Amino acid sequence: MTVLGEIALWIALPVALWGTVLSFAGGRTGRGGLVLSGERSAYALTFLLVLASLGVVAAFLGNRYEYWYVANYSNRELGTYYKIAGLWAGQRGSLLFWTLLLSGFATIAVFRNRRRNREFMPYVSGTLLAVLSFLIVVLLFAGVNPFERLGFVPANGRGLNPQLQNYWMTIHPPTLYLGFTAFAVPFAFAVSALLSNRLDSRWIAVTRRWILLSWFFLTNGIVFGMRWAYEELGWGGYWFWDPVENASLLPWLTATAFLHSIQIQENRGMLKVWNMGLVAATFLLTIFATFLTRSGLIESVHSFAENLKIAYIFLGFMGAAAAFCVVLVIHRLPSLRSDNHIRSFLSRESAFLFNNLLLVGITFAVMWGTLHPLITEGFFGQKVNVGPPYYNRVNLPIGLALLCLMGIGPVIAWRKASTRNLRRNFAVPVGVALVVLGALAAVGVRHGMALATFAVAAFVMSTVVSEFWKGTAARARISGDGRLRALRFLVRRNRRRWGGYVVHAGVVILFTGIAGAAFDEAVVHELAPGESASVRSAFGHEYRLTYESLSHSRPRVRPDVQENDWRWTALLTVHRDGERLGVLRPERRFYPVMDEASTEVGIRSTAFEDLYVIPREVDLESGSERATFEFKVLPLVPWIWYGGMIVAAGTLIGLWPVGQPGRARTAAPGSRAPVGGRPVGAQSARVPERAA
Amino acid sequence: MKNGRFLAALVGVAGVVAYLMWTGVSESMVYYLTPTELLERVESDPSFRQVGVKVSGRVVEGSWERESGARPVHEFRVADLDDPGVAFAVRYEDMVPDTFNDRAEVVLEGRFGADGVFQAYSVLTKCGSRYEAAKEELAA
Repeated sequence: MTVLGEIALWIALPVALWGTVLSFAGGRTGRGGLVLSGERSAYALTFLLVLASLGVVAAFLGNRYEYWYVANYSNRELGTYYKIAGLWAGQRGSLLFWTLLLSGFATIAVFRNRRRNREFMPYVSGTLLAVLSFLIVVLLFAGVNPFERLGFVPANGRGLNPQLQNYWMTIHPPTLYLGFTAFAVPFAFAVSALLSNRLDSRWIAVTRRWILLSWFFLTNGIVFGMRWAYEELGWGGYWFWDPVENASLLPWLTATAFLHSIQIQENRGMLKVWNMGLVAATFLLTIFATFLTRSGLIESVHSFAENLKIAYIFLGFMGAAAAFCVVLVIHRLPSLRSDNHIRSFLSRESAFLFNNLLLVGITFAVMWGTLHPLITEGFFGQKVNVGPPYYNRVNLPIGLALLCLMGIGPVIAWRKASTRNLRRNFAVPVGVALVVLGALAAVGVRHGMALATFAVAAFVMSTVVSEFWKGTAARARISGDGRLRALRFLVRRNRRRWGGYVVHAGVVILFTGIAGAAFDEAVVHELAPGESASVRSAFGHEYRLTYESLSHSRPRVRPDVQENDWRWTALLTVHRDGERLGVLRPERRFYPVMDEASTEVGIRSTAFEDLYVIPREVDLESGSERATFEFKVLPLVPWIWYGGMIVAAGTLIGLWPVGQPGRARTAAPGSRAPVGGRPVGAQSARVPERAA
Repeated sequence: MKNGRFLAALVGVAGVVAYLMWTGVSESMVYYLTPTELLERVESDPSFRQVGVKVSGRVVEGSWERESGARPVHEFRVADLDDPGVAFAVRYEDMVPDTFNDRAEVVLEGRFGADGVFQAYSVLTKCGSRYEAAKEELAA
């Protein structure tokens, strides 16, 4: 199986290159036969890459330690799930996995659009196959071939890093990769629109669901990563401003900007060049994320080993792709003129424009911070790092401004808002925000940034709620239906708009959860069994923790394995305000094969705050079983995960298959007949298939 | 709104972002050095001892001594990755990461104290997916 996979990877290269050439040739000559062959190469490529990936998985499952990659990321003791996850545990496998996902999306995009958007397809499949060819070249020739053999067979592998042995390991990286790779499809359509000079909003209408799909996976991938860090890294935080985290945030920021700015293009025919810039930037940033993670050029706690060869190859590719896009856009400038101008600062397009400028500003600032050591080394010969205070300083105020716009943008009128429009839509939300601000200040909250965040969150939340309220009431009045029925009708008629509101509500809750960090409490205690300690939370609850006992175990994943991890589990009972909440079992683990320890924290989550117990040290030498614990109470952290789930739900509302294609969406007042949600497909379906 | 106002908005936002970035950088910047560079800098300019720096290196095997308790104290030596002969003493008064041991590759943040010992206020170990061995190690 593994040998078959290796052969498949080698065959994949000519297939991808040949497909690229055929597709572009087909696009230029308009010969249907060439285009068809190009599309078939995309399907064949996916098949070959599935074989290659199965080959790697088979090598993991079969303990084939003669392969360098398997020997470095697995051992006999590793559980089956983690062996399968071995495909994306290290640099080599994850690059193959990335290629596989991209090729899978390419196949889906080509298959779904081959008839209804024929005129775009040759260049779409050509672009996607070109990117895939590049990735396969890297896999085969940049010293990262997952099928490389050691030349001897080690008795056992080195095993998987204990910190990666967590169930999020099987979920977080694939989700993020799905988001990164899905964005290649809108990019390919943009390139195709530029090459074939079809620069109306068609390409956006066609790829809107792809953009949303990519955004869905990116958002979830990032939130899953935060959750993983929170549960596994054991210091009570979820975001580190580590270069690799930043790398995943950058394309998310530009993709978010893009999701908003395409609405201006669709409704007002503006920002066409800007949108091209954003789609190209987002795609390049997904590649940049791969580059940053894989090159090891920037010091990061989770970077792979340094590989300068890969760094240069990736830089070269990004430079070439960027230059290609710039030249194309300049070439097509006459077709990319705006149909309209912004008339007033008090308008929806202006709010969206500021949203975009701020998001791009954050992107730039985060990128600058991430690359700061490289920039300073290049110019001054001296690496200078910037830390979390830099990111907080820049991103907190801008984030707050964005949160404000989130309440304004969707509600304010297009073109120019009248005073009446402003008063009608914003009087209540502003009032709610002021009441919340006053109430919090009255109960003694003094943290400025947190106060501002809570007040703005209340403002945005009330705009969202009042939109739902007004919409439902209006529909119920017209149709005579009940409220719930009216709500369902409303959402189904314009999933994008109402799904968007749900996403905004989720983001508000998520931000509120982040602001809760201003009120964290922590104490450190050294306890003997039987002793207890307490910690008081910002909400005024008193947690009392009693260290009952310490137990020792050596669980065996498989009976034929003698050596496994050692676990010392502390048992603590938790009382809140005198009432028993339950027990926590934080652990210290020791992995003899890797000669490494790991901490499993104990978390007791309630609706408003988490109790977070870190077993810092266990005294094993004297036999006293004394242990040092850090007890933290982290207010509102659960809201981050609730917010994330609501964001996901809102995105799914927007993504849900619409049912009858061609259903008109409610046009924004005064917009020029916008390109509808899906009806574009209808006309092109008539184009004779494979017209030669 | 004409293009002029659009440009004004752009410049305004860019100005605010640039200001925040500038103050952010000047508040949180630290030099990132190897032990060799750090020792050279300190020798040629003793006032450099007061400057907070980030140093990456490897813990010298057998040099790690610790006192456990609610406020643990760790003392160890850190050597240059390329030149193991260059090393300095480090003192750290907090819990070290799980992946810390006396061969770990570490990134320290801190500054030299009056006693010539590097007072670290953060210790990170390089880990994550960075688990790749040389061929010889696998053969052993």
